[in-house]
Amino acid sequence: MKDITFWKNFIKKIKKELKVLDFEMVAIESNSGLTRFTQSYIHQNVAEKNLDLTFKVINKDRISTVKLNTLDESEVKKTVKRAIELSEIMPVLDYHYCLLEPQIYKIKSQFSEKTENFTPLDRAQKIVQLVERIGQKGYESSGALETGIETLIVANSEGVFAFDRKTTVDFNTVITKNNSTAYHSFVSSEINHLNIKRICDELLNTAFRNLNQVEIQPGNYTVILSPEAVAEILSETGYAGFDGKLIMEKKSFISGKQGKKLFPESITISDDPFDKLTMPIPFDFVGYPRGKVDLIKNGVIVDGVYDHLTALKYNKNCTGNTLPPESASMGAASFNIAMKQGEDQLEDMILNTEKGVYINRFHYVNMLNPMSIELTGMTKDGTFLIENGQLTKAIKNMRFNTSVVDLLKSVDMISRERQTKPGFVGPVVAPYIRTNHFIFSSKTNF
Amino acid sequence: MRKILKNTLDYLESRVDYADIRFVDNDRETIEVENGILSAYNISNNRGVGIRVLVNGAWGFASTNNLNKESLLETAEQSLKIAMASSLIKKEDIRLAREERHVDSYTTPIVMDPFKVNPEKKIELLVRATRRMLKDKVKKSEGILDFYKTHKLFLSTEGSEIKQTIIESGGGITAHAIEEGEFQTRSYPASFGGDYATSGYEFIEKIKLLENAERIAHEANELLVAPPCPEGSTDIVIGGSQLALQVHESCGHPVELDRVLGKELSYAGGSFLTLDKLNHFSYGSPLVNITADATLPKGLGTFGFDDEGVPAGRTFLVKRGKFTGYLTSREDAFKLGQKSNGTARAESWNRIPLIRMTNINLLPGNFNLNELIGDIKNGLFLDYNKSWSIDDKRLNFQFGTELAREIKNGKLGKIFKNAIYQGITPEFWHACDGISNEKYWHTWGVANCGKGQPGQTMHVGHGTSPARFRNIKVGASK
Repeated sequence: MKDITFWKNFIKKIKKELKVLDFEMVAIESNSGLTRFTQSYIHQNVAEKNLDLTFKVINKDRISTVKLNTLDESEVKKTVKRAIELSEIMPVLDYHYCLLEPQIYKIKSQFSEKTENFTPLDRAQKIVQLVERIGQKGYESSGALETGIETLIVANSEGVFAFDRKTTVDFNTVITKNNSTAYHSFVSSEINHLNIKRICDELLNTAFRNLNQVEIQPGNYTVILSPEAVAEILSETGYAGFDGKLIMEKKSFISGKQGKKLFPESITISDDPFDKLTMPIPFDFVGYPRGKVDLIKNGVIVDGVYDHLTALKYNKNCTGNTLPPESASMGAASFNIAMKQGEDQLEDMILNTEKGVYINRFHYVNMLNPMSIELTGMTKDGTFLIENGQLTKAIKNMRFNTSVVDLLKSVDMISRERQTKPGFVGPVVAPYIRTNHFIFSSKTNF
Repeated sequence: MRKILKNTLDYLESRVDYADIRFVDNDRETIEVENGILSAYNISNNRGVGIRVLVNGAWGFASTNNLNKESLLETAEQSLKIAMASSLIKKEDIRLAREERHVDSYTTPIVMDPFKVNPEKKIELLVRATRRMLKDKVKKSEGILDFYKTHKLFLSTEGSEIKQTIIESGGGITAHAIEEGEFQTRSYPASFGGDYATSGYEFIEKIKLLENAERIAHEANELLVAPPCPEGSTDIVIGGSQLALQVHESCGHPVELDRVLGKELSYAGGSFLTLDKLNHFSYGSPLVNITADATLPKGLGTFGFDDEGVPAGRTFLVKRGKFTGYLTSREDAFKLGQKSNGTARAESWNRIPLIRMTNINLLPGNFNLNELIGDIKNGLFLDYNKSWSIDDKRLNFQFGTELAREIKNGKLGKIFKNAIYQGITPEFWHACDGISNEKYWHTWGVANCGKGQPGQTMHVGHGTSPARFRNIKVGASK
């Protein structure tokens, strides 16, 4: 991977090439490997070295964006020249495009040399550990283990230069024996935190309970959602509810509701790169420093996250949530969604539930109505009936059509324990929650 | 490039059971306009090489964007190491279905190269269309044009050498009618980015974005004041655009043989169409005939050869209602004692080929659309996808549509908003009692089919014409 000096020199060359024109540059250099296994053998095993290099050329409020994946000098020159030509025929923006000035960054991404140096053989050995432990109980395992390193450079002609390097580990597995299944996902920067023994114990504990599933009737239920399920709901809500562009266009459920108390006092959700359990990035894709943004605080809607373009267009403050240039028209994204913990233990949450359902995981969640964040999806890999404070029976997979707004309004218990789970654009830190509003709309026979 | 690829393959040949090497060079141009103002004009080039090796009965794959000789040899070495790691746990040696050696080429036939069309002309089309939609409560209008040109070179240790150039064009417009606390959306020609084809710019001229802008803006305004779709069970006619996604989710995915064999279990899921059901399972009514056809002119899933060097072909998946075939790769076809039907495709150079849909088509029936609607006393016409979800075996599905129209005594009536319909795949296709004829048949391009880890987005096509289904559960999102 190229070092910081290389990129500083590279930007000098680009400045020379573009002469008086303004520009922004985003470079992502990556090196990753992924091992995939099914029915306890490796069926796919891949590696990738790549580079994404994007230039946005700003020519008196006319903008063009070009992207390539090589540092070959003649190709870079040719592409930049094309960007200049294109910018000249682009229509003028309906607002003035200002470049960001140089910034100071307080956060660093997490980096692990162990992860950086993890080989395909190391990955295979981790999978062997899992397969053997799970296999001893007669279960087969499927899943994927990915390790990678990524360098992100954001720069512009005003002097912004932001350089960051991080490692990632992404692991998921489902274990199966006939109809008995369980699922686990793990995301971190540190491969040493991937504890296969503990994951196997948790998987088998769920799978042993997830037998002889019974049918329940659709309707409204009290449910306890695992951090995996909560993370999925928060990801969808972040995407459709807290994007500043949608808020300004009145296409978000929070449009006009800023400052209103919609939820119980216990609900606090933020985009928080400082949360101890998250995996932060120090800056967004124009170089704004990342900071904590309150989305819902003590049940009150605060506001959403804003990207550079939307902030300029609507005279708002950018919150450090700008997406890469090719996704700029999508608005902003919450990179580090985190939900505040509560005071409860999972065991007490179950114990205090007379009749309800525990949901371990969702499958194929999609938006039905963005103005109420009504979602649909299926339950999967460990749904259990709670009767008189105990998990009594496993339940066949159910479809739900339920509004996250109504769901959050009816939350009455939140766990102290939180877990870091994969989200749409970054990790999500989520607790277990109990809600008295969850609508199952139809069922399956498995 | 050929020479350097061949050199790398020669380096590998004595050390592998099989190897292939793919060079992919992709140009893309995307233009986005909002409310008459250009919001993005992005051009990109992405190129690289992927090397896949079969060593000791196990796969290894490595890829790089660095195309010099030394980098490719290093990548080849890495692919060997990865294959050795894969062989640490294997059930049996991977074997490939037999395939002839092909030395050939294929280019998408086009009239107008979209990359040579004046950028200002393309912008102007979207500016005019999006301005035209800003009527009454339509406060947000969007338009997109999207073009791809992909050069591929495939070489294998079996002696195949295939050169392809695939050109794709797509576009669409969307009107959002917005008022306090609610918005309604109408898209044309299809939702989520519009319609796509393997075609030149002539496709964009044919879909007539400008001519349809006012109509969809009017419909978006109508939806804003429309009542919600009533709940219950009723007869429905599904329009071609929505039916394309129905075919995609409830037929296209469950017939992917890798899913059936459990290779997507931890991510996308499995399939209810298990091996015992092949040629023995009644998937739908006798009217239902579904093919996979990568030879269909202009289909978004049309090509000359797949990314394992197997020629494009046509296969019946469902014939007169009976389930008759899977989509296969060389590895998975071998397990069934078959030849591959040529559906293993990779998103780009940095991904391995996976079994993917090509053009999955519900073949036309004999009805005129007014006959389908005319035979419904109380029902709904549903079209243009708004939401989709299906369980991991591909049985319990639910779709939302942008548009629902009442059918009363055989005639189309008032408009409803927020419609959803739900069903179980085989029950649903058995409820099909009418499919409209060739006059209404169109191959829809879906450019966002996701699968695999690392994720791969694939471009696929679906030929459909409106069809009728009896006694389907419907309702409204809230």
